Amino acid sequence: MKKTFRLSDARPDAPRDVHDEIEFHLAMRTREFIEQGLAPDDARRAARASFGDVDTIESALRDDRDERQRRVRRREWWGSIWQDVRLSFRALRRRPLFALSTISALAVGIGAAGAVFAVINGVLLRPLPYGAPDRLAMLWLQAPANMGGGQWPLSAGFYDQIRRENRSFASLAALRSWPGTLGDFEVTERVSGARVTPSLFPTLGVGAMLGRTFTEAEGQAGGPRVAILAHALWQRRFGADPAVIGRAITLSGASFEVVGVMPPDFSFPRGAELMRGLQFAPNTEVWTPLVFSEQDLQNYGTQNLAAVGRLAVGTTPAQAHDDVDALVAATLEAAGSQLEVGNEVVLLRDQAARPVQRGLLLLLGAVVVVLLIACANVAALLSARVNERRRELAVRMALGARQSRVGRQLLTEMLVLATVGGVLGTLFTLGGTRLLLTLAPSDLPRTDDISVGLPVIAAIAVVALLCGLAFGTIAVRRVRASDAADALRTSTRSSDSRGVRTGRRILVTAQVALSVLLLVGAGLLLRSFGRLQDVRPGFVASDAVTGEVNMPIAGAFDIQRDSPGWARFFEAFVSRVAQLPGVVAAGAASAIPLTGSAEGSSFVIVGREPERGEDAPRTAYVVAQGDYFRAAGIALLQGRAFEARDVSDAPRVVIISKALADRNFKNENPIGRQIRAGFEFTPDGGPREIIGVVDDVKLGSLDGETGPTMYVPESQMPYPGLNLVVRTSEAPERILPSVRRELRAVNPAVALSDVRTLEDVLRQSLARQRFTLTLIVSFATAALLLAVLGLYGVIAMSVQARRHELGVRLALGARPASLVRLVLREGMQLTGAGVVLGLVGAFAVAGALRALLYGVSERDVGVFSVAALVVIGVALVASWVPARRASRGNPTEALRVD
Amino acid sequence: MPGSDVFTGTLDLLILKALTWGPSHGYAIGRWIRETTRQALVIQEGALYPALHRLERKGFVSEEWGESESGRQAKYYKLTARGRSQLRTETTRWQSYADAVARALSVV
Repeated sequence: MKKTFRLSDARPDAPRDVHDEIEFHLAMRTREFIEQGLAPDDARRAARASFGDVDTIESALRDDRDERQRRVRRREWWGSIWQDVRLSFRALRRRPLFALSTISALAVGIGAAGAVFAVINGVLLRPLPYGAPDRLAMLWLQAPANMGGGQWPLSAGFYDQIRRENRSFASLAALRSWPGTLGDFEVTERVSGARVTPSLFPTLGVGAMLGRTFTEAEGQAGGPRVAILAHALWQRRFGADPAVIGRAITLSGASFEVVGVMPPDFSFPRGAELMRGLQFAPNTEVWTPLVFSEQDLQNYGTQNLAAVGRLAVGTTPAQAHDDVDALVAATLEAAGSQLEVGNEVVLLRDQAARPVQRGLLLLLGAVVVVLLIACANVAALLSARVNERRRELAVRMALGARQSRVGRQLLTEMLVLATVGGVLGTLFTLGGTRLLLTLAPSDLPRTDDISVGLPVIAAIAVVALLCGLAFGTIAVRRVRASDAADALRTSTRSSDSRGVRTGRRILVTAQVALSVLLLVGAGLLLRSFGRLQDVRPGFVASDAVTGEVNMPIAGAFDIQRDSPGWARFFEAFVSRVAQLPGVVAAGAASAIPLTGSAEGSSFVIVGREPERGEDAPRTAYVVAQGDYFRAAGIALLQGRAFEARDVSDAPRVVIISKALADRNFKNENPIGRQIRAGFEFTPDGGPREIIGVVDDVKLGSLDGETGPTMYVPESQMPYPGLNLVVRTSEAPERILPSVRRELRAVNPAVALSDVRTLEDVLRQSLARQRFTLTLIVSFATAALLLAVLGLYGVIAMSVQARRHELGVRLALGARPASLVRLVLREGMQLTGAGVVLGLVGAFAVAGALRALLYGVSERDVGVFSVAALVVIGVALVASWVPARRASRGNPTEALRVD
Repeated sequence: MPGSDVFTGTLDLLILKALTWGPSHGYAIGRWIRETTRQALVIQEGALYPALHRLERKGFVSEEWGESESGRQAKYYKLTARGRSQLRTETTRWQSYADAVARALSVV
């Protein structure tokens, strides 16, 4: 056989390949038959017959070939992608500075955004961990407009009536906090408890993990004492022992049977999501049934319940609101009250989010700004880089690389960068989220629900992908075939096209503007924080320590029977503490400043009874024991403080705050006047005589109003829970062991909990503002740094491009200083434009900050000016460095044409 | 037609053997098989080509277009090193198979 092998042209066409092969065979066979003597047509037919079913075989072969070709092509494609990725890594390794700056800019931007998004996802977006959480709503009363119109807790009377008569809730439950003690162990430990109606768990749609939840019978008066444990408490104190069901535990001195353990992550009510005044702990650890006596159900005035309900199918919160409104109005009218009490039906998820929504969204805005600035930096770096490589890319295309292939390689490079940046960013997000959680104020709601889970990672991945695609597209657009010849022709001195340069300048201007925006925000918040810290709280925070002391109350209590015991206990305990060495003064109060835990009530000045149709004035009230005012450092302005002679059967006394005195006794002496208070536990006690006036104290928060306050002695109105306040001559914490010893000596069943110094109290009251401030300042700093880097880059590149021109100037005798001025002017032009834009933008959006500011107008001229000056100053330095380098340049070198 | 059917494995074996004489196209292989088995083995020529493609996919032969002795373009198949060792293996197996059957049949 003659064998001749040629470099044959490829036959990628499968059908032709197969067809020709078979044709050849048939032709040879036909010739064979012709040689044997057949006529040509017969020979052909015989050949075909001898072959078999030609068409079937041909199509089978053809399909087979097609399939193989497809598989080969796919493998080739993946191979080229992999090659692109490897090339990208190689290219990035050759320019480590570029790779590093791009990746870090992306990582920081994406990481910060991811962390903030994780917080927002947990607090605002994620559904609450209850059954069908969108149907759950909190029910509150609403204070009349002249009392602030805020949320009021329900009273047992209202709750019961609404529960029976409403038509919009499928189920309703009530709850109140219960600071109990768990006394099964050597140390009596304080537990965060809640007393709840048995309907709570079905309403929330969550069942027990072990055992069961409460039955209706257990919610009736006289029912058995049962308790349900939270998962965390069960693990911590009971060693996750399943035999805990049926066991008897001692809560606040009484025996309760454990009937159930809740699943992990369930700790409703969570204090941060509800009104502070109701004093729910951040996480509830034990639940006991809330039982209403006959007396309670008739009581419409004592408001101490939170209520949560599941809206009936098809009912909106607005409809539920109107329904309850009608019920409340009817009740008030029947009672002859003129109060205009409304109600609020708030979806549970909004209840949690409401206080922090604005702050969080502000944070999101700030972090998006930082991300944008980072992306702008990357875009600038990228365009500079593509420009550098124009020659390389042109050579490649001249050698035959397809434009699309080169473009794809650039795109891959960007995607690789974005992926690495995204992965690093995820690490930052993980760390950043943890950092945020440690810094976060304790009243940030739903901190349990904040985690870096799938939604956050998915968001990061999407952002990184978008960045990669966006930058890649920019890079690819730059690569045009017509550039090829142009790039090859020019000198090695790479110069940017006009369009590219303008683009970069716009980017830098935008970056400067955005960082001015953030700086203004940070400045406003900083100033506001400073003002807050200047507010006189009304007490002396140094050298004092405080802790909660609660009498163990296991269930319903009888005021007449139990209250003398409380008074005796606190009298004994506080006086013993007062005699400890190192103690300057000791006292206790039902509500200490800055905790928002004081309750309110109405009062009447004897001789000034309100007219018909007029509402009695209201005041906050505090029960005090011992030398409270001296211990807390509250100044006594007039009269005297409580003394030992103010016992229960002595004349009833009261001390008022300055605000109350100013408002009601404008030009008179309040001492000696009589007041009838609406909060008396024993209503027939008679009026109280004002014996003293003390300075105002911020009971709520530093930026809150200073309202009127009344103080009554514990001996005359016993309260089961007081906050001990001890002023010491040395370090306050050192006194604690002795205090605890005295407490155990007086009553071992009582625990001292929530111990902190008054400095802590002051600091923690500002925790939320401090948190926001810290974050915004960090973001502003990051933004400024990034913007300045961008500016530096632009100026440096511009100087580089103008080397020739500057060299000529130098050679012609220009002074170096004038060159510096030239370059500086360019920098200042960009900065100036950016600053103006930024100030205008800040002016426009400053209104969003108003709710977060205290004592500072959102258009504060000082802050705006300082922000502008800071940016200009920093930009000046950033421009000066390349300017100086330009002025030092060697003219001969610059003039050299290469 | 006289002669017995040829099983697929046997066909592959014959093709590989045919190619030890040098690269050939499908038609030549078919003729070789016909001639060397003295017409005893008649194969459906159509079966050759699927067999050849299969052998090429497994890597025992390689294919290439070239010019035949008649001047036309034809697809030539060439034995690869793998194909050679496959031939050796299969031949040995075939021999032992054939011996075993012969032994069984010779028992009287």
